[in-house]
Amino acid sequence: MIWNETKECMSRDEILNMQGARLKKTVSRVYHNVEFYRKKMQQLGLEPSDIKGMEDLDKLPFTTKEDLRDNYPFGLFAVPQSEVVRVHASSGTTGKATVVGYTRRDIEIWQECVTRVLAMAGIGANDKIQVAYGYGLFTGGLGLHYGAENLGATVIPMSTGNTQRLITMMEDLEATAIACTPSYLLHIAETLAEAGKTDKIKLKAAICGAEPWTENMRKEIEAKLNLKAYDIYGLSEILGPGVAADCDAHQGLHVYEDHFIPEVINPETLAPCKEGEVGELVFTTITKEALPLFRYRTKDLTSITYEPCECGRTLARISRFKGRSDDMLIIRGVNVFPSQVEAALLEMGETSPHYILIVDRINNLDVLEIQVEVEERFFSDEIRILESLTKKISHVLQTALGLAVKVTLVEPKTIARSEGKAKRVIDKRKLI
Amino acid sequence: MIRQLSIFIQNEIGSVARVTAILKNNNINLRAIASFDTPQFAILRMVVDQPEKAKTLLIDSGFAVTMSEAIAVELEDKPGVLHDLLQVIADAGIGVNYIYSIVFRNGKVPLIIINTDNLDKSKELLLEKGYAVAEQGDVGL
Repeated sequence: MIWNETKECMSRDEILNMQGARLKKTVSRVYHNVEFYRKKMQQLGLEPSDIKGMEDLDKLPFTTKEDLRDNYPFGLFAVPQSEVVRVHASSGTTGKATVVGYTRRDIEIWQECVTRVLAMAGIGANDKIQVAYGYGLFTGGLGLHYGAENLGATVIPMSTGNTQRLITMMEDLEATAIACTPSYLLHIAETLAEAGKTDKIKLKAAICGAEPWTENMRKEIEAKLNLKAYDIYGLSEILGPGVAADCDAHQGLHVYEDHFIPEVINPETLAPCKEGEVGELVFTTITKEALPLFRYRTKDLTSITYEPCECGRTLARISRFKGRSDDMLIIRGVNVFPSQVEAALLEMGETSPHYILIVDRINNLDVLEIQVEVEERFFSDEIRILESLTKKISHVLQTALGLAVKVTLVEPKTIARSEGKAKRVIDKRKLI
Repeated sequence: MIRQLSIFIQNEIGSVARVTAILKNNNINLRAIASFDTPQFAILRMVVDQPEKAKTLLIDSGFAVTMSEAIAVELEDKPGVLHDLLQVIADAGIGVNYIYSIVFRNGKVPLIIINTDNLDKSKELLLEKGYAVAEQGDVGL
């Protein structure tokens, strides 16, 4: 169902007018409350009055993760601490953590966005949803939690860390929905299958996000668990989960444009990309009070379309993510995204989706090795068949990546499963 | 015909021992074992006295395992007998995939385990020629 038809089904003109008005107000408030942006705008010779509407968006400066780190922890906040009711922090896997904050109104908006996502996935007050994202500083757990409560669903706050307990609760409480990372859901599916419990569970929908995944992975999850899986996107800097999500059509993720303005730019030249062209996703928040950001560079690669969706929503849609501009590996000058490897493997359909890329530099030459698990159903007792499978994987990847790949088959379940973001790459290159 | 287990293992120190440890701990008797290796991985083929139990235990321990059939033939201990057997199969235009053997049989003659492109036809031919083909029940002896 469409939770908020007034906001999710506006005409393009209505959206642009609303965004323009909200942008104008945000710029004025930020200019007067955040020194960092005031200085940046002054350097550009920009007055708040120069931003009259959406046509002036590209005059605003970009914001990066480094800017958040440099102003750690509260330097970019636009409200006094007394108005901040909660903080979250990023995992800091690529450096120092960043802290984000929310006013009471920000939390309400976040709930509203997540509620829209859940309603879009067919979840309602009669559902019992297991939230199996981590609870705590990470936005996943609490983000989904309050959105589901706002919807009226029954929340089972699992958090992460105990798959057996999650399965017991899933079975005993007859959970009908789950929210977790897609790789963890595959792990849950495997564990259920091993215990012979797949038929006993009542799940009908899964809300998966926090890491890139592919259309084929979605189909695999749906087939293994007999449910419908949906893609949810978000980042703590902008909100947390609920910035965008996909509907039954699975033709891209709807961005809640009444709160966030999406742009797609070329990460090198910073010029805007055409509709449908892949580039870096950039967001400007237009309702956030505690931490408003101008043109925040997400480093996520996607394309955008403004065509209304067959589901009836008119919100801009971003395509399934093609990778991250900073996860991108450059191997012998070729750009490689782990998601390309996954898509190629799943499309081939003869291996498990569990793989790890190992990049090394031997005699000054980059080499890419991929380890793939041999799955029970693909295991042949004949060496020649396994060798031809190895060659086939190597050929498929070479075609997909334009790069020679060494393929190594490894025993099942030897590649670490993760309850958070799956680790897909080991880069051993020492660049001295 | 007898049932054999094929197990995928990485070509690493200790990987065969991980398999035999599971058999030992569960009191499963190994009748024959052969490893066919490539630089990166190997397929371990085994005949055991409790194949179903061994398969379940190995899968539970995270191995990829398949169970398949093979022909086990009794051979006298004298020169040329294996050649004669292989000639029967070759003359019928059937390819041999691999061969290994069960040597210890408490005083009985050794068994040659053979896998071909056409198991049923190979077995039929060997029986016609008077070879003693063993069944699963004979293996535990």
